[in-house]
Amino acid sequence: MVPTMTAPPTTGTCDHDLVRESWTRPEAFSALFDRYADMLYRYVSRRLGPEVAEDLVGETFLVAFDRRRRYDLAYTDARPWLFGIVTKLVSRHHRTEAARYRALQRSPGEGVVESPADRVAAEVTALACRPALAGALAGLPARDRDVLLLIAWGDLSYEEAARSLGIPVGTVRSRLNRARRKVRAALGETNPMHEEE
Amino acid sequence: MDDLTMLRALGDELEHEPPATLANQRRRLLDASNGTGRPRRPRGPRGLSVRGMAMLGLAAAATAAVLVAPAVLLRGHEVATPVGARPVKANEAINVLVAGTDGQMGSGRNPARADVLLLVHLSADRGRVTVVSVPRDLAVPVVPCAGSAGGASGPAKTERIGASFADGGMACLWKRVEVLTGIRVDHAVEVDFSGFKDMVDALGGVEVTLPTPIDDPRAKVRLPKGRQVLDGGQALGYVRARYSLGDGSDLGRIGRQQRFVEAMLRKAGGLMSDPARLAAFLGAAAKSVKADSKLDLPTLRAIAESLDGTVPGSFGSFRVPVRPSASDPGMLDWDRPAAQRLFAKVRDDTL
Repeated sequence: MVPTMTAPPTTGTCDHDLVRESWTRPEAFSALFDRYADMLYRYVSRRLGPEVAEDLVGETFLVAFDRRRRYDLAYTDARPWLFGIVTKLVSRHHRTEAARYRALQRSPGEGVVESPADRVAAEVTALACRPALAGALAGLPARDRDVLLLIAWGDLSYEEAARSLGIPVGTVRSRLNRARRKVRAALGETNPMHEEE
Repeated sequence: MDDLTMLRALGDELEHEPPATLANQRRRLLDASNGTGRPRRPRGPRGLSVRGMAMLGLAAAATAAVLVAPAVLLRGHEVATPVGARPVKANEAINVLVAGTDGQMGSGRNPARADVLLLVHLSADRGRVTVVSVPRDLAVPVVPCAGSAGGASGPAKTERIGASFADGGMACLWKRVEVLTGIRVDHAVEVDFSGFKDMVDALGGVEVTLPTPIDDPRAKVRLPKGRQVLDGGQALGYVRARYSLGDGSDLGRIGRQQRFVEAMLRKAGGLMSDPARLAAFLGAAAKSVKADSKLDLPTLRAIAESLDGTVPGSFGSFRVPVRPSASDPGMLDWDRPAAQRLFAKVRDDTL
């Protein structure tokens, strides 16, 4: 009974258009905030917890805004650029981050879990391995951890992670492989069931 | 399960939803952008682009929740109010319980279940809107919800909150949400998924972003990876698909439904300025929405008008803090201290 309407065009404005527009009309930059602030908040809340995340996200956009004229307009997607800034800012809190993972390592089954229902099934499994995982994360060198988490938690591709960190894709691969080997080793030690199939 | 999957699950567990106060950071950015370059524009709540999608979306969700009801009222579909002692109404804030049920989508012998539960809070000054989502697998004490007055506690039995709907419909769910949270819930709206396809089409489709392509013969749906607009039929397949996605669990499917419904309500909220399409949406919604009798047209209009005045930055979205249940892996226990803090803020209107 309701006529099917054609879908509206999905074209929208690309990130690089917004950045370019902000060169002459600075307030246009806030559209990038609307697009990505939530996503970055979630990412930072994973690494540093909610206490630090809000301010850090705000700072990320201030830094990005200051550097907007240096944005390479060849890239339509601004996420890797923003994740690169986030990663630098997160590194200033490396003590907080390490302490967070170590706390998880020590107290399995505790801590505030605030999660959507759809993630719960995986969480039940992860719960058992949480100490091992957290321990592995805490023990990784910062630059390996940055690559691993940009890919696992930031959902970036290898190329995007490379762009974020300003390193070659080959380096992303080698750091990722090294980090994953350590994570697997840590998982294998505590739970042979979860060793690689 | 490989190491990256495990790591992602850990990440999901550590993740927090952005709080309403994140909007302060937007203001910080705007201050910076106004402080540079050419002559500054006049500032103030109206000086900014109100197209803050993320923030506007939540208001829209609330708006839509109350918008879809009027059509129903004309049809006389009603939700009964809970029985027994109820939390007192402490202030002028309005709390609306929104439940999405599977209606006739379930097989004939199974009663409808509530899959999506949202508590929408409108502050007393109508300046803030907060959506609290409640996982349907949350274990709650079974309290009487029909007939005699409830309140008996003791060594209570527990069951999934979503199952309350099957026990005694919306009134039962409403009762147990009030008992669980201590929040006076003023209104309840029930949305049946079976009218879902028409509602999506009336909206002109709803945008989703898929991390991976979907090809699910059972749900009769094939979708590429990435950002796209789904029509009603595709949307139905998307929310039904189960085996070709993620871990194949029902929880995964419910989560997808929840996200989709949120996106849909967001879009519906944007229809305020498009009466023709809004009418089509309401027509489609009329078949699938029920509300309580006190949620009448004047109330709805008052709510809708008061929401019109809301400014960006005054919306928040939370989930009831939970953890996997120790006794039953299929259920969730609430994280008592954190959840109590959240509920208290809703009660006291200090979110």
